[in-house]
Amino acid sequence: MTTARAQLANELISGASGAVLAVFMWGHMLLVGSILLGRRGFDWMATQLETWFVAQPAVVGIFVLFLVHAVFASRKIPAQLHERQQLTQVSTDLQHSWTPHLDSKLWLWQVRTGMVILVLGSFHILLLAVDVLTPLYGQHAGIESTTTLGRVRAGLWLPYAVLLLCVEFHASVGLYRLAVKWGAGALLSRRTLKRIERALFWLILVFGALTLMVLAGLLDPPLEFLLPPATQ
Amino acid sequence: MSRRLEFEIFRLNPEDPESEPHTDRFEVTETPYMTLYLALSQIREEQDPGLQFDFACRSAICGSCGMLVNGRPALACRTLTSQLPDSIRLYPLPVFRLVGDLSVDTGSWFRQMAERTEAWVHQKLPFDASAEESRMSDDDAQAIYDSDRCIECGCCVAACGVANIRSDFVAAAGLNRIARFMLDPRDRRDESEWFEVLSSDQGIFGCIGLMACEDVCPKQLPLLEVHAYLRRRLFASRLVGKQTDT
Ligand code: FES
Repeated sequence: MTTARAQLANELISGASGAVLAVFMWGHMLLVGSILLGRRGFDWMATQLETWFVAQPAVVGIFVLFLVHAVFASRKIPAQLHERQQLTQVSTDLQHSWTPHLDSKLWLWQVRTGMVILVLGSFHILLLAVDVLTPLYGQHAGIESTTTLGRVRAGLWLPYAVLLLCVEFHASVGLYRLAVKWGAGALLSRRTLKRIERALFWLILVFGALTLMVLAGLLDPPLEFLLPPATQ
Repeated sequence: MSRRLEFEIFRLNPEDPESEPHTDRFEVTETPYMTLYLALSQIREEQDPGLQFDFACRSAICGSCGMLVNGRPALACRTLTSQLPDSIRLYPLPVFRLVGDLSVDTGSWFRQMAERTEAWVHQKLPFDASAEESRMSDDDAQAIYDSDRCIECGCCVAACGVANIRSDFVAAAGLNRIARFMLDPRDRRDESEWFEVLSSDQGIFGCIGLMACEDVCPKQLPLLEVHAYLRRRLFASRLVGKQTDT
Protein backbone atom coordinates (compact mmCIF):
# COMPACT_ATOMS: atom_id res chain seq x y z
CA MET A 1 0.00 0.00 0.00
CA THR A 2 2.72 2.42 0.93
CA THR A 3 4.53 2.18 -2.42
CA ALA A 4 1.31 2.82 -4.33
CA ARG A 5 0.53 5.88 -2.22
CA ALA A 6 4.08 7.12 -2.45
CA GLN A 7 3.99 6.82 -6.23
CA LEU A 8 0.83 8.87 -6.44
CA ALA A 9 2.23 11.46 -4.05
CA ASN A 10 5.42 11.66 -6.05
CA GLU A 11 3.51 12.19 -9.28
CA LEU A 12 1.33 14.89 -7.76
CA ILE A 13 4.13 16.75 -6.00
CA SER A 14 6.48 16.80 -8.97
CA GLY A 15 3.68 17.83 -11.33
CA ALA A 16 2.14 20.49 -9.12
CA SER A 17 5.47 22.01 -8.09
CA GLY A 18 6.52 22.13 -11.74
CA ALA A 19 3.30 23.85 -12.77
CA VAL A 20 3.58 26.44 -10.00
CA LEU A 21 7.22 27.13 -10.86
CA ALA A 22 6.41 27.53 -14.55
CA VAL A 23 3.62 29.99 -13.85
CA PHE A 24 5.75 31.85 -11.32
CA MET A 25 8.51 32.07 -13.89
CA TRP A 26 6.28 33.78 -16.43
CA GLY A 27 5.15 36.27 -13.83
CA HIS A 28 8.74 36.81 -12.79
CA MET A 29 9.76 37.50 -16.42
CA LEU A 30 7.05 40.14 -16.64
CA LEU A 31 8.24 41.77 -13.42
CA VAL A 32 11.88 41.79 -14.48
CA GLY A 33 10.61 43.10 -17.80
CA SER A 34 9.88 46.35 -15.97
CA ILE A 35 13.44 47.22 -16.99
CA LEU A 36 12.02 47.77 -20.48
CA LEU A 37 10.49 50.91 -18.94
CA GLY A 38 13.92 52.01 -17.84
CA ARG A 39 15.67 51.99 -14.49
CA ARG A 40 12.97 54.00 -12.78
CA GLY A 41 10.38 51.46 -13.79
CA PHE A 42 12.55 48.64 -12.52
CA ASP A 43 13.33 50.27 -9.19
CA TRP A 44 9.72 51.27 -8.67
CA MET A 45 8.61 47.68 -9.24
CA ALA A 46 11.30 46.32 -6.90
CA THR A 47 10.34 48.76 -4.15
CA GLN A 48 6.65 47.91 -4.51
CA LEU A 49 7.34 44.20 -4.18
CA GLU A 50 9.55 44.74 -1.17
CA THR A 51 7.44 47.24 0.76
CA TRP A 52 4.39 45.02 0.39
CA PHE A 53 6.44 41.97 1.43
CA VAL A 54 5.90 40.02 -1.75
CA ALA A 55 9.54 39.58 -2.69
CA GLN A 56 10.87 38.33 0.65
CA PRO A 57 8.59 35.33 1.17
CA ALA A 58 8.61 34.64 -2.58
CA VAL A 59 12.36 34.23 -2.79
CA VAL A 60 12.37 31.78 0.13
CA GLY A 61 9.25 29.93 -0.99
CA ILE A 62 10.39 29.58 -4.57
CA PHE A 63 13.75 28.23 -3.50
CA VAL A 64 12.07 25.57 -1.38
CA LEU A 65 9.68 24.68 -4.20
CA PHE A 66 12.58 24.60 -6.63
CA LEU A 67 14.41 22.05 -4.49
CA VAL A 68 11.26 20.00 -3.91
CA HIS A 69 10.64 19.89 -7.65
CA ALA A 70 14.24 18.84 -8.32
CA VAL A 71 14.09 16.02 -5.78
CA PHE A 72 10.70 14.63 -6.81
CA ALA A 73 10.96 15.07 -10.57
CA SER A 74 14.44 13.55 -10.76
CA ARG A 75 13.14 10.29 -9.31
CA LYS A 76 11.95 9.41 -12.78
CA ILE A 77 15.42 9.58 -14.26
CA PRO A 78 16.79 6.07 -14.81
CA ALA A 79 19.70 5.41 -12.51
CA GLN A 80 21.87 3.10 -14.57
CA LEU A 81 24.04 4.27 -17.42
CA HIS A 82 22.94 1.45 -19.72
CA GLU A 83 19.30 2.34 -19.05
CA ARG A 84 19.94 5.93 -20.03
CA GLN A 85 21.75 4.83 -23.15
CA GLN A 86 18.85 2.60 -24.07
CA LEU A 87 16.38 5.43 -23.53
CA THR A 88 18.48 7.75 -25.68
CA GLN A 89 18.67 5.10 -28.38
CA VAL A 90 14.92 4.57 -28.50
CA SER A 91 14.15 8.29 -28.60
CA THR A 92 16.79 9.02 -31.23
CA ASP A 93 15.45 6.23 -33.46
CA LEU A 94 11.91 7.58 -33.12
CA GLN A 95 13.06 11.10 -33.79
CA HIS A 96 14.72 10.13 -37.07
CA SER A 97 12.11 7.66 -38.30
CA TRP A 98 10.05 8.29 -41.42
CA THR A 99 7.29 9.90 -39.40
CA PRO A 100 9.27 11.60 -36.67
CA HIS A 101 8.18 11.38 -33.07
CA LEU A 102 9.80 14.10 -30.99
CA ASP A 103 8.24 13.91 -27.55
CA SER A 104 10.54 11.17 -26.28
CA LYS A 105 13.58 13.21 -27.23
CA LEU A 106 12.08 16.30 -25.63
CA TRP A 107 11.86 14.40 -22.35
CA LEU A 108 15.60 13.77 -22.46
CA TRP A 109 16.19 17.45 -23.10
CA GLN A 110 13.99 18.23 -20.15
CA VAL A 111 16.32 16.17 -17.98
CA ARG A 112 19.38 17.89 -19.42
CA THR A 113 17.99 21.40 -19.08
CA GLY A 114 16.79 20.45 -15.59
CA MET A 115 20.37 19.72 -14.57
CA VAL A 116 21.55 23.08 -15.91
CA ILE A 117 18.69 24.86 -14.17
CA LEU A 118 19.50 23.14 -10.89
CA VAL A 119 22.99 24.63 -10.93
CA LEU A 120 22.41 28.05 -12.50
CA GLY A 121 18.96 28.50 -10.99
CA SER A 122 20.21 27.79 -7.45
CA PHE A 123 22.94 30.35 -7.95
CA HIS A 124 20.50 32.92 -9.29
CA ILE A 125 17.94 32.44 -6.54
CA LEU A 126 20.54 32.53 -3.77
CA LEU A 127 22.08 35.67 -5.20
CA LEU A 128 18.66 37.29 -5.29
CA ALA A 129 17.96 36.12 -1.76
CA VAL A 130 21.07 37.98 -0.63
CA ASP A 131 19.88 41.06 -2.53
CA VAL A 132 16.36 40.99 -1.19
CA LEU A 133 17.06 40.01 2.40
CA THR A 134 20.40 41.67 3.19
CA PRO A 135 22.03 45.05 2.50
CA LEU A 136 25.24 43.26 1.42
CA TYR A 137 25.10 44.54 -2.17
CA GLY A 138 24.01 48.09 -2.96
CA GLN A 139 22.64 50.81 -0.68
CA HIS A 140 19.99 48.90 1.23
CA ALA A 141 18.29 45.52 1.48
CA GLY A 142 16.39 45.03 -1.77
CA ILE A 143 16.83 44.77 -5.52
CA GLU A 144 18.46 47.84 -7.01
CA SER A 145 18.91 48.56 -10.67
CA THR A 146 22.46 49.85 -10.19
CA THR A 147 23.65 46.59 -8.65
CA THR A 148 21.70 44.41 -11.07
CA LEU A 149 22.77 46.21 -14.22
CA GLY A 150 26.38 46.37 -13.12
CA ARG A 151 26.41 42.66 -12.44
CA VAL A 152 24.78 41.60 -15.66
CA ARG A 153 27.06 43.86 -17.65
CA ALA A 154 30.12 42.51 -15.88
CA GLY A 155 29.49 39.07 -17.35
CA LEU A 156 26.51 37.56 -15.63
CA TRP A 157 24.59 37.93 -18.91
CA LEU A 158 26.18 34.74 -20.18
CA PRO A 159 24.94 32.32 -17.50
CA TYR A 160 21.64 34.23 -17.47
CA ALA A 161 21.21 33.71 -21.21
CA VAL A 162 21.80 29.98 -20.79
CA LEU A 163 19.44 29.89 -17.83
CA LEU A 164 16.75 31.76 -19.75
CA LEU A 165 16.88 29.34 -22.67
CA CYS A 166 16.85 26.27 -20.44
CA VAL A 167 14.06 27.52 -18.22
CA GLU A 168 11.82 28.50 -21.13
CA PHE A 169 12.31 25.14 -22.76
CA HIS A 170 11.90 23.16 -19.56
CA ALA A 171 8.78 25.03 -18.50
CA SER A 172 6.89 24.98 -21.79
CA VAL A 173 7.67 21.34 -22.58
CA GLY A 174 6.95 20.40 -18.97
CA LEU A 175 3.54 22.06 -18.95
CA TYR A 176 2.65 20.45 -22.26
CA ARG A 177 3.58 17.02 -20.90
CA LEU A 178 1.70 17.64 -17.68
CA ALA A 179 -1.39 18.71 -19.61
CA VAL A 180 -1.30 15.58 -21.77
CA LYS A 181 -0.66 13.35 -18.77
CA TRP A 182 -3.80 14.51 -16.98
CA GLY A 183 -6.02 14.54 -20.01
CA ALA A 184 -6.04 17.99 -21.57
CA GLY A 185 -5.50 16.16 -24.85
CA ALA A 186 -9.18 15.27 -24.85
CA LEU A 187 -10.28 18.90 -24.69
CA LEU A 188 -7.74 20.34 -27.08
CA SER A 189 -5.91 18.04 -29.43
CA ARG A 190 -2.30 17.26 -28.76
CA ARG A 191 -1.40 19.21 -31.85
CA THR A 192 -3.11 22.30 -30.48
CA LEU A 193 -1.44 21.86 -27.11
CA LYS A 194 1.86 21.59 -28.90
CA ARG A 195 1.18 24.82 -30.80
CA ILE A 196 0.41 26.57 -27.54
CA GLU A 197 3.61 25.18 -26.07
CA ARG A 198 5.68 26.48 -29.01
CA ALA A 199 4.00 29.88 -28.96
CA LEU A 200 4.58 30.32 -25.22
CA PHE A 201 8.18 29.22 -25.60
CA TRP A 202 8.98 31.79 -28.28
CA LEU A 203 6.93 34.56 -26.75
CA ILE A 204 8.60 34.40 -23.35
CA LEU A 205 11.99 33.68 -24.85
CA VAL A 206 11.90 36.80 -27.00
CA PHE A 207 10.58 38.88 -24.12
CA GLY A 208 13.26 37.46 -21.82
CA ALA A 209 15.99 38.05 -24.38
CA LEU A 210 14.95 41.69 -24.78
CA THR A 211 14.95 42.12 -21.01
CA LEU A 212 18.36 40.57 -20.73
CA MET A 213 19.74 42.77 -23.51
CA VAL A 214 18.54 45.89 -21.73
CA LEU A 215 20.02 44.64 -18.46
CA ALA A 216 23.31 43.96 -20.23
CA GLY A 217 23.32 47.46 -21.71
CA LEU A 218 23.10 46.23 -25.30
CA LEU A 219 19.78 47.93 -25.84
CA ASP A 220 18.24 51.13 -24.52
CA PRO A 221 14.99 50.55 -22.60
CA PRO A 222 12.51 50.59 -25.52
CA LEU A 223 9.47 51.60 -23.45
CA GLU A 224 11.02 54.37 -21.37
CA PHE A 225 8.91 57.00 -23.13
CA LEU A 226 5.83 55.54 -21.46
CA LEU A 227 6.86 56.87 -18.05
CA PRO A 228 6.25 60.53 -17.23
CA PRO A 229 9.49 62.51 -17.30
CA ALA A 230 11.47 62.41 -14.06
CA THR A 231 10.78 65.20 -11.63
CA GLN A 232 13.90 66.11 -9.76
CA MET B 1 10.55 4.20 -63.05
CA SER B 2 10.15 1.90 -60.11
CA ARG B 3 12.58 2.27 -57.26
CA ARG B 4 15.19 -0.25 -56.21
CA LEU B 5 14.64 -0.74 -52.51
CA GLU B 6 17.58 -1.71 -50.41
CA PHE B 7 16.77 -3.74 -47.33
CA GLU B 8 19.04 -4.15 -44.36
CA ILE B 9 17.62 -6.95 -42.27
CA PHE B 10 18.68 -8.14 -38.84
CA ARG B 11 19.61 -11.83 -38.68
CA LEU B 12 20.08 -14.08 -35.68
CA ASN B 13 18.95 -17.56 -34.90
CA PRO B 14 19.03 -17.96 -31.11
CA GLU B 15 18.57 -21.75 -31.49
CA ASP B 16 21.86 -22.06 -33.31
CA PRO B 17 24.93 -21.54 -31.10
CA GLU B 18 27.01 -20.72 -34.19
CA SER B 19 24.71 -17.88 -35.22
CA GLU B 20 26.03 -14.34 -34.63
CA PRO B 21 23.84 -11.22 -34.79
CA HIS B 22 24.44 -9.41 -38.07
CA THR B 23 22.49 -7.75 -40.88
CA ASP B 24 21.97 -8.97 -44.45
CA ARG B 25 21.30 -6.80 -47.48
CA PHE B 26 18.66 -7.52 -50.09
CA GLU B 27 17.44 -5.59 -53.12
CA VAL B 28 13.85 -5.56 -54.28
CA THR B 29 12.19 -3.69 -57.14
CA GLU B 30 9.27 -1.70 -55.82
CA THR B 31 5.83 -2.47 -57.25
CA PRO B 32 2.72 -0.31 -56.88
CA TYR B 33 1.08 -0.54 -53.42
CA MET B 34 3.85 -2.79 -52.18
CA THR B 35 3.73 -3.42 -48.45
CA LEU B 36 6.67 -4.57 -46.36
CA TYR B 37 4.88 -7.88 -46.11
CA LEU B 38 4.98 -8.27 -49.89
CA ALA B 39 8.61 -7.22 -50.07
CA LEU B 40 9.62 -9.66 -47.33
CA SER B 41 7.71 -12.53 -48.94
CA GLN B 42 9.44 -11.80 -52.20
CA ILE B 43 12.83 -11.86 -50.49
CA ARG B 44 12.02 -15.15 -48.84
CA GLU B 45 10.80 -16.71 -52.08
CA GLU B 46 13.49 -15.48 -54.39
CA GLN B 47 16.55 -14.72 -52.31
CA ASP B 48 16.67 -16.33 -48.89
CA PRO B 49 14.23 -19.07 -47.90
CA GLY B 50 15.62 -19.08 -44.35
CA LEU B 51 14.45 -15.56 -43.49
CA GLN B 52 12.16 -15.62 -40.44
CA PHE B 53 9.27 -13.21 -39.97
CA ASP B 54 5.65 -13.54 -38.82
CA PHE B 55 2.43 -12.93 -40.67
CA ALA B 56 -1.06 -14.25 -40.49
CA CYS B 57 -3.84 -11.87 -41.43
CA ARG B 58 -2.00 -9.36 -43.65
CA SER B 59 -4.65 -6.79 -42.77
CA ALA B 60 -3.61 -5.28 -39.41
CA ILE B 61 -5.82 -7.53 -37.33
CA CYS B 62 -3.76 -10.37 -35.89
CA GLY B 63 -0.89 -8.20 -34.64
CA SER B 64 1.86 -10.65 -35.48
CA CYS B 65 3.91 -8.62 -37.97
CA GLY B 66 5.22 -5.80 -35.75
CA MET B 67 8.86 -4.89 -36.38
CA LEU B 68 11.21 -1.92 -36.21
CA VAL B 69 11.06 -0.18 -39.56
CA ASN B 70 13.88 2.35 -39.76
CA GLY B 71 13.82 2.52 -35.99
CA ARG B 72 10.07 2.92 -35.61
CA PRO B 73 7.76 0.09 -34.54
CA ALA B 74 5.16 -0.62 -37.22
CA LEU B 75 3.05 -3.38 -38.70
CA ALA B 76 4.81 -4.68 -41.79
CA CYS B 77 1.52 -5.67 -43.43
CA ARG B 78 0.12 -2.16 -43.30
CA THR B 79 3.29 -0.18 -44.03
CA LEU B 80 3.58 0.76 -47.69
CA THR B 81 7.08 0.91 -49.10
CA SER B 82 6.07 4.14 -50.81
CA GLN B 83 6.01 5.77 -47.35
CA LEU B 84 9.65 4.86 -46.87
CA PRO B 85 12.99 6.01 -48.25
CA ASP B 86 15.02 3.82 -50.64
CA SER B 87 16.95 2.14 -47.88
CA ILE B 88 14.90 0.29 -45.31
CA ARG B 89 16.26 -1.12 -42.07
CA LEU B 90 14.25 -3.91 -40.48
CA TYR B 91 14.92 -5.08 -36.94
CA PRO B 92 12.84 -7.24 -34.62
CA LEU B 93 10.84 -5.44 -31.92
CA PRO B 94 12.90 -4.95 -28.76
CA VAL B 95 11.58 -5.93 -25.29
CA PHE B 96 10.12 -9.25 -26.54
CA ARG B 97 11.92 -12.61 -26.71
CA LEU B 98 13.54 -13.12 -30.09
CA VAL B 99 12.38 -16.17 -32.01
CA GLY B 100 14.70 -15.54 -34.92
CA ASP B 101 15.51 -12.72 -37.40
CA LEU B 102 12.40 -10.49 -37.39
CA SER B 103 10.15 -12.84 -35.49
CA VAL B 104 9.50 -12.18 -31.79
CA ASP B 105 7.35 -13.83 -29.15
CA THR B 106 4.86 -11.18 -28.09
CA GLY B 107 2.51 -13.84 -26.69
CA SER B 108 4.50 -14.61 -23.54
CA TRP B 109 4.89 -10.94 -22.71
CA PHE B 110 1.16 -10.27 -23.09
CA ARG B 111 0.30 -13.36 -21.11
CA GLN B 112 2.43 -12.42 -18.11
CA MET B 113 1.05 -8.88 -18.30
CA ALA B 114 -2.53 -10.16 -18.32
CA GLU B 115 -1.83 -12.50 -15.41
CA ARG B 116 -0.18 -9.78 -13.34
CA THR B 117 -2.97 -7.28 -13.91
CA GLU B 118 -5.60 -10.04 -13.62
CA ALA B 119 -7.09 -8.93 -16.88
CA TRP B 120 -10.42 -10.65 -16.64
CA VAL B 121 -13.81 -9.72 -15.23
CA HIS B 122 -13.86 -10.19 -11.46
CA GLN B 123 -17.55 -10.70 -10.89
CA LYS B 124 -17.13 -11.92 -7.33
CA LEU B 125 -20.48 -13.70 -7.53
CA PRO B 126 -21.18 -17.42 -7.41
CA PHE B 127 -21.74 -18.63 -10.94
CA ASP B 128 -25.40 -19.08 -11.75
CA ALA B 129 -26.00 -20.62 -15.15
CA SER B 130 -29.70 -19.83 -15.17
CA ALA B 131 -29.35 -16.13 -14.28
CA GLU B 132 -30.05 -13.62 -17.00
CA GLU B 133 -26.97 -11.83 -18.36
CA SER B 134 -26.51 -8.41 -16.83
CA ARG B 135 -27.28 -5.49 -19.09
CA MET B 136 -24.84 -2.80 -20.09
CA SER B 137 -25.45 0.70 -21.39
CA ASP B 138 -24.53 1.50 -24.98
CA ASP B 139 -21.97 4.03 -23.84
CA ASP B 140 -20.19 1.51 -21.64
CA ALA B 141 -20.23 -1.06 -24.38
CA GLN B 142 -18.81 1.43 -26.85
CA ALA B 143 -16.03 2.53 -24.48
CA ILE B 144 -15.08 -1.07 -23.79
CA TYR B 145 -15.17 -1.89 -27.45
CA ASP B 146 -12.79 0.98 -28.12
CA SER B 147 -10.12 -0.33 -25.77
CA ASP B 148 -10.71 -3.87 -26.99
CA ARG B 149 -9.59 -2.79 -30.44
CA CYS B 150 -6.01 -3.39 -29.27
CA ILE B 151 -4.50 -6.20 -31.38
CA GLU B 152 -1.54 -6.78 -29.04
CA CYS B 153 1.02 -6.23 -31.76
CA GLY B 154 3.48 -4.85 -29.21
CA CYS B 155 4.37 -1.69 -31.16
CA CYS B 156 3.55 0.58 -28.22
CA VAL B 157 5.60 -1.61 -25.90
CA ALA B 158 8.60 -1.54 -28.22
CA ALA B 159 8.37 2.25 -28.62
CA CYS B 160 8.15 2.83 -24.87
CA GLY B 161 11.40 4.02 -23.35
CA VAL B 162 10.38 2.71 -19.93
CA ALA B 163 9.33 -0.75 -21.18
CA ASN B 164 12.68 -0.95 -22.93
CA ILE B 165 14.58 -0.57 -19.68
CA ARG B 166 12.21 -2.14 -17.16
CA SER B 167 10.83 -5.57 -17.90
CA ASP B 168 8.16 -5.33 -15.17
CA PHE B 169 6.45 -2.22 -16.59
CA VAL B 170 3.00 -3.08 -18.00
CA ALA B 171 3.32 -0.38 -20.71
CA ALA B 172 0.56 1.20 -22.78
CA ALA B 173 -1.02 -2.07 -23.93
CA GLY B 174 -1.20 -3.26 -20.32
CA LEU B 175 -2.61 0.02 -19.04
CA ASN B 176 -5.17 -0.01 -21.81
CA ARG B 177 -6.12 -3.53 -20.78
CA ILE B 178 -6.57 -2.47 -17.16
CA ALA B 179 -8.71 0.49 -18.23
CA ARG B 180 -10.90 -1.87 -20.23
CA PHE B 181 -11.82 -3.78 -17.07
CA MET B 182 -12.17 -0.63 -15.01
CA LEU B 183 -14.76 0.57 -17.50
CA ASP B 184 -16.61 -2.71 -17.35
CA PRO B 185 -19.54 -2.46 -14.89
CA ARG B 186 -19.46 -6.23 -14.37
CA ASP B 187 -15.98 -6.04 -12.87
CA ARG B 188 -16.51 -5.64 -9.15
CA ARG B 189 -12.98 -4.81 -8.08
CA ASP B 190 -13.16 -1.80 -5.76
CA GLU B 191 -11.08 1.33 -5.90
CA SER B 192 -8.47 0.15 -3.42
CA GLU B 193 -7.86 -3.01 -5.43
CA TRP B 194 -7.45 -0.99 -8.60
CA PHE B 195 -5.18 1.34 -6.74
CA GLU B 196 -2.83 -1.50 -5.95
CA VAL B 197 -2.92 -3.00 -9.45
CA LEU B 198 -2.23 0.30 -11.09
CA SER B 199 -0.22 2.69 -9.14
CA SER B 200 2.97 0.89 -8.31
CA ASP B 201 5.70 2.00 -10.66
CA GLN B 202 4.96 -1.06 -12.76
CA GLY B 203 1.64 0.62 -13.47
CA ILE B 204 0.57 4.08 -14.47
CA PHE B 205 3.10 5.97 -12.35
CA GLY B 206 5.98 4.17 -13.98
CA CYS B 207 4.97 6.07 -17.12
CA ILE B 208 7.15 9.14 -17.63
CA GLY B 209 5.05 10.57 -20.44
CA LEU B 210 7.19 10.00 -23.52
CA MET B 211 4.00 9.66 -25.62
CA ALA B 212 5.52 7.43 -28.28
CA CYS B 213 2.95 4.68 -27.59
CA GLU B 214 0.08 6.66 -29.04
CA ASP B 215 2.11 7.92 -31.97
CA VAL B 216 3.11 4.45 -33.14
CA CYS B 217 -0.16 2.62 -32.41
CA PRO B 218 -1.26 1.08 -35.74
CA LYS B 219 -4.87 1.04 -34.55
CA GLN B 220 -4.76 4.69 -33.45
CA LEU B 221 -6.00 3.90 -29.98
CA PRO B 222 -6.28 7.01 -27.78
CA LEU B 223 -3.67 5.61 -25.40
CA LEU B 224 -2.71 8.92 -23.80
CA GLU B 225 -6.34 9.61 -23.05
CA VAL B 226 -6.58 6.17 -21.46
CA HIS B 227 -3.53 6.94 -19.30
CA ALA B 228 -4.99 10.29 -18.26
CA TYR B 229 -8.24 8.55 -17.31
CA LEU B 230 -6.31 6.11 -15.12
CA ARG B 231 -4.37 8.90 -13.42
CA ARG B 232 -7.49 10.91 -12.73
CA ARG B 233 -9.38 7.90 -11.47
CA LEU B 234 -6.60 6.92 -9.06
CA PHE B 235 -6.26 10.46 -7.85
CA ALA B 236 -10.00 10.63 -7.24
CA SER B 237 -10.02 7.27 -5.48
CA ARG B 238 -7.32 8.51 -3.11
CA LEU B 239 -9.32 11.62 -2.31
CA VAL B 240 -12.36 9.54 -1.55
CA GLY B 241 -10.25 6.93 0.23
CA LYS B 242 -8.81 9.58 2.56
CA GLN B 243 -12.24 10.64 3.67
CA THR B 244 -13.37 7.13 4.48
CA ASP B 245 -10.10 6.37 6.32
CA THR B 246 -10.71 9.05 8.90
S1 FES C 1 -0.15 -9.80 -40.47
FE1 FES C 1 -1.73 -9.59 -39.05
S2 FES C 1 -1.34 -7.60 -38.31
FE2 FES C 1 0.11 -7.77 -39.89
